[in-house]
Amino acid sequence: MAKPATRLLRATRTKALVCRVLIGVFTACLWSCTPADADRDAGNSPGGLKVFRYSLDSAPSSLDPVRASTLYANQIVVVLYDTLYVYKYLQRPYEMKPGLAAAMPEISEDGLIYTIRLREGVLFADDPAFPDGKGREVTADDFVYSLKRHFDPATRSSGAWLWQGRIEGLDEWKAAGSDYAAEVSGLRALDRYTVQIRLVQPYPQLVYTLAMGFSGVVPHEAVEYYGREFSINPVGSGPFRLQSYDATRAILIPNRNSHQEPVDLAAEGYDPKTQGELGLEIIDGRVPPFIDRLEISFVKEGSARWSSFTKGDEIQYTGLPNEQVPRVLESTNPVKLRKEYAERYHMRAEMEAGFVYSAFNMDFPELGYNPDPNREKRNHALRCAIIKGVNWNAQNDSWYAGLGTIFPGIIPPLLPEFDSELSRASVTYDPEGARRLLADNGWDAANLPPLTYGTTPGPTSRLFFEQFRAWLMDIGYPKEKVLLKTYATFGDIAKAWSNSELPLVSKGWGLDYPDAENTLQLFFGPNAAPGSNDGNYRNPEYDALYRQAAVMQPSPKRTVIYRRMNEMVIDDCAAISGLSRVGIALWHRNVIALPDRTFVGGRFLNYVDILPPAGADAAMAK
Amino acid sequence: MNTVAEAASIDAHGDSLWLKALHKFRRDRVGMWSLGVVSAYALVALGVVLGWWANDWAAVTGPKWAPMSAQYWFGTNIIGQDIFARALYGTRTAFEVGLIVALGATLLGAVLGAVAGFFSGTFIDEMVIWIMGVLDSVPFILLVAAIAYSLQGSPWAMHVAMIATFWITTARLVRGEVIKLKGLEFVEAARAIGVSKPLIIFRHILPNTLHILLVQATISFVAAIKSEVILSFLGLGVKEGMSWGLMISESTFEVLAGFFNNFIAASILMFGLVMAFNLFSDALQDALDPRTVSRP
Amino acid sequence: MDILQYSIRKLIAGIPLILGVTLVSFLLIVYFGPDQTYSLLGKNPTAAEIAELRSQLGYDQPFVTRYLQYLREIVTLDFGSSQANDEKVSSILARTIPVSLALSLPGFVLGNLLGVALALVAAYNRGRWLDKFIMGFAAVGMSISFLIVIIGFQILLSSSDGLDLFPVRGWDTSTPLQYLRYVTVPTLATVFVALGYNTRFYRAVIVEEMTRDHVRTARAFGIPQSQLFYKNILKNSMIPIVTRVVFSIPLIVISGSLLLESYFGIPGIGYVTYDAIVTGDQPVLKAVVALTAVLFVVAQLLTDICYRIVDPRVSLK
Repeated sequence: MAKPATRLLRATRTKALVCRVLIGVFTACLWSCTPADADRDAGNSPGGLKVFRYSLDSAPSSLDPVRASTLYANQIVVVLYDTLYVYKYLQRPYEMKPGLAAAMPEISEDGLIYTIRLREGVLFADDPAFPDGKGREVTADDFVYSLKRHFDPATRSSGAWLWQGRIEGLDEWKAAGSDYAAEVSGLRALDRYTVQIRLVQPYPQLVYTLAMGFSGVVPHEAVEYYGREFSINPVGSGPFRLQSYDATRAILIPNRNSHQEPVDLAAEGYDPKTQGELGLEIIDGRVPPFIDRLEISFVKEGSARWSSFTKGDEIQYTGLPNEQVPRVLESTNPVKLRKEYAERYHMRAEMEAGFVYSAFNMDFPELGYNPDPNREKRNHALRCAIIKGVNWNAQNDSWYAGLGTIFPGIIPPLLPEFDSELSRASVTYDPEGARRLLADNGWDAANLPPLTYGTTPGPTSRLFFEQFRAWLMDIGYPKEKVLLKTYATFGDIAKAWSNSELPLVSKGWGLDYPDAENTLQLFFGPNAAPGSNDGNYRNPEYDALYRQAAVMQPSPKRTVIYRRMNEMVIDDCAAISGLSRVGIALWHRNVIALPDRTFVGGRFLNYVDILPPAGADAAMAK
Repeated sequence: MNTVAEAASIDAHGDSLWLKALHKFRRDRVGMWSLGVVSAYALVALGVVLGWWANDWAAVTGPKWAPMSAQYWFGTNIIGQDIFARALYGTRTAFEVGLIVALGATLLGAVLGAVAGFFSGTFIDEMVIWIMGVLDSVPFILLVAAIAYSLQGSPWAMHVAMIATFWITTARLVRGEVIKLKGLEFVEAARAIGVSKPLIIFRHILPNTLHILLVQATISFVAAIKSEVILSFLGLGVKEGMSWGLMISESTFEVLAGFFNNFIAASILMFGLVMAFNLFSDALQDALDPRTVSRP
Repeated sequence: MDILQYSIRKLIAGIPLILGVTLVSFLLIVYFGPDQTYSLLGKNPTAAEIAELRSQLGYDQPFVTRYLQYLREIVTLDFGSSQANDEKVSSILARTIPVSLALSLPGFVLGNLLGVALALVAAYNRGRWLDKFIMGFAAVGMSISFLIVIIGFQILLSSSDGLDLFPVRGWDTSTPLQYLRYVTVPTLATVFVALGYNTRFYRAVIVEEMTRDHVRTARAFGIPQSQLFYKNILKNSMIPIVTRVVFSIPLIVISGSLLLESYFGIPGIGYVTYDAIVTGDQPVLKAVVALTAVLFVVAQLLTDICYRIVDPRVSLK
């Protein structure tokens, strides 16, 4: 070979060698550079470490109580932080009991002053944010501070609406610049352990708000120390503290500073008749938490979550994905597992705290309010016809495995004010009646207004739309007049709702507390867009009743008013409503718990116990 | 490398490059077979456009997840729509996306590549190279999402985004070829007799890159169909109508329930078209390659 | 020194590219990206709250100010914090990039090595049935969608319905064995899909080399086929091969593989980027885009240097 060629050869050979070395270095780097998970167990190891592998179907947006707006964030926030009040673990229907507070609040005669005494000796978790690294005692000042944070624009709170315009001096405090040193007349620490809240007008739901993740008590030292990163470095007094957190998983370990009372099953509302087979007796009289490690996996895809759950040594809890229902359930009414699954898993059919519905946007003159009274009457008929044309049963079958509960109006069955006697006409599929209504009111294919259906991307949302369109076509709507508009993200469609751009607002609403006021406010005039009344329903009679009921404590009289309001919404055909989804929760037999995604929420994790391997083997073998 | 000019000259048998290619292609059995398959798909797509079949793809008529039967050749999906009809409609969408993107990307790539190549070394060339580098570096999904948003969710957003990224390879290849071509005698001659620059580029040089353009067009067609699957899965793809990508994304949760029809129908149809087109593209490339010898 | 000078000159010449990419991307992000305000709001927002949040997110400042701020961030490498969960962007990147690398590298390396190997075999047996078989297999690999492969492999290999050999999802690199457990299925999926393209490309390059005059001369001299392949053909084919490999690195490093990461639950940069794009989390997006641009320029530089080393005819002008 000629000289230049040899040089060439050597050059290329060297280059290949260099490449190989580089790759080797790379890989070696990776193995040492990637953060290693601290002692990862592959199960309930013989070391005796009790690990509960929980799963959520989405990652939480933030672990800062001030922004715990999603169900997922709330689940974790309520085990990291304490709230003044909590819901009893096992009592159904849900009932409150003191959490951080020592007792239920003392309420003045006029319902405006709440005096709450805190328990003494509750400590925050140890954290470098504290002067000597040791968590200090939780005081009334901490609660005041935590609530004030919601009214500080810098925190971008999503929970402020719960107390906006309710607490004396708080809105003014915000307008004056949110100076934490300044006092708020309606939110004060009377002494080290006593909090006093003065309301502007009676607010019967206040105590409920004090059990939500939003009112988790945070120490100011941690907020100052971590600054913006506080949302991923939570420091609370709850039963657990955070060990690690990323987009796929959170790992929590018990908070050593948390000293709880032993569990009193009866006081927690234990009902052996409905909860007997869960094996909960073993936690009676013991001090929680019972597990050594809590791993929460965030798995969006139902299929991946289900595969991981059935493997046996990965996640131990999952909601049953809808497509698995025929395979796993023997029947949906009553809900029963097939034998091979019943042997390995516990199951709970849990109605969601919330419902799905579609509100008509009354600000669209083509189908809502219209200055011409004749047209408005015809619009009313149009809306009622569309409502008749919706096949709730088919929707339930296709999307919710037939498990959902269909109910008329906007007060879902989970709420105490639910009226099981209410006429079901508004949720009965009646295409013939719909067609008649349209014909009687001068509607035909030519003059029907175009209807735009808004969704976010996803394989099912398109099919939702196609199903909806098929129903409308059945009652006389031409195909071209039922349009789909896809928004890139939930934020985009929320913006469209806020700006009143869509004639139909289809959404799900999660209940914040067990009081129908939470759903009735969805049709309260002053809450119109950008508020949660996306349908812009404005009925002065309804609003007057709402204001009247807003200051009433729960009572039969108030329930009557609530139901009257419900009927108004139904009569005005303001919404296609509604369905409460029922989720099937499954967990491995060796896990002793009653999981909850509603009001008890993530707090149930405090009471989870894992059966020792011997018991587990016996339970899971077969 | 043999030059295109040489191949373009008339040889003793009176065959130009194109006729030669045609002969070669006819002899390639795999090529002819794949062309047949592609034509069959095209016919199906045409039929959908003309309304001969798959008109009721959106009709909700059947039960949830019906198995294959005489009435529903592939069964039904979760809300009771006929999977076979939807798959047929998907053929039309595939061709629509593929053709529009292939045409757009190839045209754009040809023009910009030729201009850059002809003026290589000058500012125009630098500009085009810079644009290519920029578009290459912007994350594809960001581009698609941004274009979708800016076009107010128009159904053409996906096509525009794909054209905006696929033209680059074509342009690079054309540019390389044009640089080689412009040094040849026939270009010199054209310049000498005073033919204007644009005319030189578009009438004399560009036609000699047709073999590159053809092959690149077929590659873009395939890439467009495959990208559509992923984009539709992410929600950024097809907005109206039905496509294989949408069917596959719908089926992702069905398959674990043991219902595979949706998945299989879309996958097989897509695989068939893409595979056939790939083989066709290969055969085309072989036929157009002036170096592979063929017997007259 | 020559090379150093050349590198510096090339890097500086790459600055317009970086500026271009960041400007275009920033335009896209600002004017055509989703408005993150509404996904951060709570229930029942008032108009005042909305305006407040928008101002907090910086939406009300003029474009030029924001772009200059962006440039400053690139130079100081401080992109602030994610608006979705307040984590520092630099810590997000530091946490996720190594994961994406660890995820994609095996597949990338294997895919290319196997591709070259298969291409060699195919070219060696050009025209015979082995060649046709390999190319047919390559065509199949090119025709299946990545999504289908991922779903299929997850069902086949990981789920309890299939072989149940590997975890369904998750990520753990604490020990090499654990790493292997988690990276195998994604790697198999990547290789399956990339192999087709790689094999075809490399085969084309090698065949191109095979038909060159100097190879024909060597063959005429009686040099055995295998020696021919290794000494003459493969070495010279390295240029286009290396170009292709180096050019695909920025994509792997920065974009990660969104589908792999979301399906297998791997906390890498691809998923973070996609989330940021879809929710409009600007700080994260800006960082990712800037990094991609810089890497792209560096990749170009590296290939140019490689050309120089391999082919002395290429000048450093």
